[in-house]
Amino acid sequence: MSRLIFTFIALFSLAGCVNLNSVSLTQIPDDRSNLISAEAHDWLFLGLTSNNDFVDEAIDNLKSKCEGGKLQGILTKHQTTAYLLVFKREVIASGYCHKA
Amino acid sequence: MYKLMLMSAILLLGACARVDYVQLGDIDQSQGQLTPISVKVSQFAIEMAAVAEVGRHVATNSAARSQSQEIRDLLALINMGPRTGNPVFDDTYAENILDQLYQQCPSGNITGIRNIREAKTYGPVSGEIVRIDAFCIQSGN
Repeated sequence: MSRLIFTFIALFSLAGCVNLNSVSLTQIPDDRSNLISAEAHDWLFLGLTSNNDFVDEAIDNLKSKCEGGKLQGILTKHQTTAYLLVFKREVIASGYCHKA
Repeated sequence: MYKLMLMSAILLLGACARVDYVQLGDIDQSQGQLTPISVKVSQFAIEMAAVAEVGRHVATNSAARSQSQEIRDLLALINMGPRTGNPVFDDTYAENILDQLYQQCPSGNITGIRNIREAKTYGPVSGEIVRIDAFCIQSGN
């Protein structure tokens, strides 16, 4: 019996279902030689949280990877992965960095 | 009475944040120092069907309970369909957001515009938020 329960818990915990909440893309540049990406996420128990700070983290991470340059063609994905009672919210951003 | 107090406490203490949409714009860090600017507008929203449901649980007699259930079903039908967050009473609340952004960056050199549609929810009540974050390019640096 305990084995069965363990199997169910393992199945539910590992089998995350992903919801793609939003996608956006900006103008793609001619020079596409330097693709950079960044992501930020947070974990929620029962979907409860009091802040959305992880969104700002993603932007800071992306910005820091192209200091003094231009970031264009930014693809932004906002997705949520649902595990058993736990949710992972993610912002994944990638773009082309151009430095003169 | 105890039920009502318990529900009120849950609603007041159980504030939850939600993100619906995130969009990042191009970021130009080659023109000078970037100063973060932000504009946030919020509109009060309420899930009327959920309020009617709370009313149904709080109602002491069966007639009132039944009436609350009918109201709840009717409100749920009226608000049926695809939507982002709870319905708001004013759909123009985010219209002046661009002017507010320019007020924070009079030079108009704005880069890295991020559109974030989010909300703070308190049970059936929520603040439906539109947030625009950006960077103002400080020219001359």
